[in-house]
Amino acid sequence: MSNMNRRDALPIPPANATVHNTVCQYCTVGCGYKVYTWPVGTQGGLAANQNAFGVDLRNPQTPLGGLVYTETMHSIVTRKDGQQYHVVIVPAGDSPINLKRDHSSRGATNAVATWSDARATRERLKYPLLRIGDQFQVIPWDEALTILAGVAKGIRDKDGNDDNIAVKAFDHGGSGAGFENNWGVGKLFFDAFSVKHIAIHNRPAYNSEVWGSRERGVHELNYDAIDARLADTIVLWGANPYETASVFYTEHMLPNIQGATSGEKQRNLLRGEPFGPAYLIVVDPRRTSSLTVAEQVDKARTLHLRPNLGTDYILANAIARVIWERRYYNMQYLQNRTDMQKFEEYKEKSLKLDTPYAEFMARVTQITGVPRADIEKAADWIAKPKGANFPRRTLTIYEKGMIWNMKNYDQIAALVQMNVLSQNIGRAGTGCGRLGGHQEGYVRPPSPTPGSIYNGGPPVNVDKYLTDGKGKLYWVIGTNPYLSTPNNQLFRKRIRERTKALSDYLGRSGEPGRTEEWVSKILEGLEATGGLFMVVQDIYLTHTAMDAHLVLPASAWGEANQTSINCNSRLLRLYEKFMDPPGEAKQDWEICKLVGLKMAELYRAEGKGDVAAKFEFGKNWNTDEDVFLDGGNSFPNNAIPASEEATLPAECYRGVTYAFLRQVGQQGIRTPVRIENGRPVGTLRRYSVKFGTKDGKFSWYGTDDWEGYPPEVAKYLEGDMAKKYPFWMTTGRAQAIWQTMYNDRFLPEKMTVMPMPYIEMHPQDAQALGIKGGDLVQVWNEEGNGTFMVYVTDAVRPGLIFALQYHHLGTSNSMTSGYTDPKTTIPWYKGTRVAIRKIRGSLPDLQQTASFLQQNKFD
Amino acid sequence: MILSRRRTIQVLSGVTMASLTGAGRAQFWFAPSLTYPAVRVGNIRNLQNNQPVTFNYPDARAQGILVKLGRPALGGVGPNRDIVAFSAACTHMGCPVVYKNGRLLCPCHYSMFDPAKAAQVYQGLAGTGLPQIQLRVAPNGDILANAINGLIWGRVRNV
Repeated sequence: MSNMNRRDALPIPPANATVHNTVCQYCTVGCGYKVYTWPVGTQGGLAANQNAFGVDLRNPQTPLGGLVYTETMHSIVTRKDGQQYHVVIVPAGDSPINLKRDHSSRGATNAVATWSDARATRERLKYPLLRIGDQFQVIPWDEALTILAGVAKGIRDKDGNDDNIAVKAFDHGGSGAGFENNWGVGKLFFDAFSVKHIAIHNRPAYNSEVWGSRERGVHELNYDAIDARLADTIVLWGANPYETASVFYTEHMLPNIQGATSGEKQRNLLRGEPFGPAYLIVVDPRRTSSLTVAEQVDKARTLHLRPNLGTDYILANAIARVIWERRYYNMQYLQNRTDMQKFEEYKEKSLKLDTPYAEFMARVTQITGVPRADIEKAADWIAKPKGANFPRRTLTIYEKGMIWNMKNYDQIAALVQMNVLSQNIGRAGTGCGRLGGHQEGYVRPPSPTPGSIYNGGPPVNVDKYLTDGKGKLYWVIGTNPYLSTPNNQLFRKRIRERTKALSDYLGRSGEPGRTEEWVSKILEGLEATGGLFMVVQDIYLTHTAMDAHLVLPASAWGEANQTSINCNSRLLRLYEKFMDPPGEAKQDWEICKLVGLKMAELYRAEGKGDVAAKFEFGKNWNTDEDVFLDGGNSFPNNAIPASEEATLPAECYRGVTYAFLRQVGQQGIRTPVRIENGRPVGTLRRYSVKFGTKDGKFSWYGTDDWEGYPPEVAKYLEGDMAKKYPFWMTTGRAQAIWQTMYNDRFLPEKMTVMPMPYIEMHPQDAQALGIKGGDLVQVWNEEGNGTFMVYVTDAVRPGLIFALQYHHLGTSNSMTSGYTDPKTTIPWYKGTRVAIRKIRGSLPDLQQTASFLQQNKFD
Repeated sequence: MILSRRRTIQVLSGVTMASLTGAGRAQFWFAPSLTYPAVRVGNIRNLQNNQPVTFNYPDARAQGILVKLGRPALGGVGPNRDIVAFSAACTHMGCPVVYKNGRLLCPCHYSMFDPAKAAQVYQGLAGTGLPQIQLRVAPNGDILANAINGLIWGRVRNV
């Protein structure tokens, strides 16, 4: 049982407390926060002029707008000066994102997730660790860098290339990353090294998750949060924002569904244009809370489509076919804005105009399981013009339900094409884009893969490369593939086997002593054993790090200045430093710089000044802003008119400085940034004039026919296998926890609520298997197995379970197949078949403390 | 419901209340740090299952919600350990929660709290459970509010 510390009083920041602007470190929404710090030993008073909030604390705050300062929003940290400081992190009152000081259960814990030796976050890494014999021991940076650079250089010297240097790194904003650290990682691996076996944090390759959209000319971040308040219809396709982007839902979607944004509609829409409260379409195998909350407002304005797993692109094409049949499109728009030659291919392959409508729809219903009437209703809600002259305004937001679906490329392409056919992009209240998971901060030199199979791809599956026994150095930065990668059990076992082979070799004929012995014996062992030298750079000793040879401590959010954009408005803001990192932990950009300089030192010693120079990319980086500006200068010329915004990378911030960001504070600036009259100017909404293609026209694509499931999953659908593995399993996230729980696992507020990974099971299935809420089950298939707690709920249909994807005590990815879309190398994390059994006995303690009430039931 | 303040009890700052539930387990919380009044909030003979009663505690500007769940609850009092009370202000943005279908629900942003599990947030945007009001049953069946575990939304200190 958890012993959670509740508080009934909080320290008050004195009027002279230091105030910083920041943005939440967690989800895509990027709520604004204010940080107050002051030395321990003083406190402010209750009167407004006696505290830094400037708020009268003698009276209770006003609900829905008053100061929000709750138990988890305060902590005490120690800085490098040895002094203790109070840290108060509260929702900002001046943010255009989290209006009225709204915030989520993630953001509420920003303060208690800060590092302190007096709290559970004492687990933060402070010093480099080297696996010595069979234990990690602390070493100084110079020793760590010398060993790492020596091994990396030794591999290059022998191979003549960097093919055996494999990397897996974050490529996002927030969470301690941001533009600064992405630029550092990119310079090291793409400009200094020429690494081609690199994978992004949550998947086996280096790829966009939405090439199906980008290669049409549509970057996935094209709408603004205001569009959710202006839309006639919101479509959530494989996205559950109430749980994963909560404040975007509660402050921007829900008010529109409730009819509370009519004033904004009046001001922003066309004269005489009819409007009303928004309609909501949810396309998801589950009755998500995003749906069931809206049903509480007005069920008649909600529509739920539940396609069979993997069939979403067939459904999107069918909605588009209805739009075509009912002439809900504008031919002039299509001719002016889209490539009409490629449109013919779209009509033939996606809309299948050669197949009679009734026959086409019957086939779609057979494949997807969605009734024709619902498909037609969806088309009406998405595209039927309002009155005679006003096109409907529909905002379509998708996320991992589509991205991590079978046939990633075709899924995304079908969805964006449905929206362009109905002119639902580039206008107020429209757009077709990602919900997002984390924030973004991508700025890097050109990556090794230009695009999908249609554009020089697909990228290499680095997981497979490693599990096949290839590669010598595996360098993991800010991610935990032991939980996050597909076919996880195989991956974990194989990496462990290969890293252990090297560790065992190091002990043969005596352990190494001198630094050069370490390097030479590692290099020798790699050749002799087929083993792997693993380096993990992170803020905690993650599951993956436990098997590493060398662990490098990184700094986290709040411990340095950094910049990121959110996904729902591309809003760039400065996240100000308010505390010091633990011990000798460093920013990722600085670690990359130091590795580069150490490599350069080794090359100079050999008289190879030209190679050394490439590794000295960071020699003039002294501050976070130096790196930010260096990265910004890599974007193309952005002194261009607004009509040309589509030519800019979505995250272009060239011309923006920290001083500018300090000045605009929580208001930020929306990327892509252009320069007008010497001043940075943001972009509210994209593709109003042109699309992001060479000729500016939307590039259509004809999707594949339905071809059934790939062999990795189809094997479970035949004969005895179908009986043995009778359940479909889909996977996803939950409101309470963030990603792999790297912080949350140390917070009792989180661990009490969600002590274990869980599955959701329909009451009929639960009854048939003799399972009730709170029971533990084993879930397994040929790929892997895992132990899960059960929630009984009608969120899922009979025959389908939902499993939490990541929990620090286990991952449903163990059962996920190794299938990836051959066009993009994106996995299908969200569909496979499993068997389930109740585990003997129970854990009464867990049943007594965790809640098993139904999470999507609000009536 | 009419309030009466019969007496106050002194809860010493910093002393852990090693209070026990029916199962003899340590409770979820450490001690309240402040001194609270003891206030009569009802009588067990007047409570019916799932019929919530509201009251003010620890002062007239804070509302509490008292409910007999009909099933054992963490921190519950009474013969069946099923009587619990919580601050009625949602810990997210302060809206009053309602007791409905066996759970506490905030109508503003739909946070939901499990009254049998110390009002932990099992869904929604709230970062912490509702503050639980410690109860004690007097020999005559009166239910007394003794202290609060957790911070009432909108305050920097409960009293």
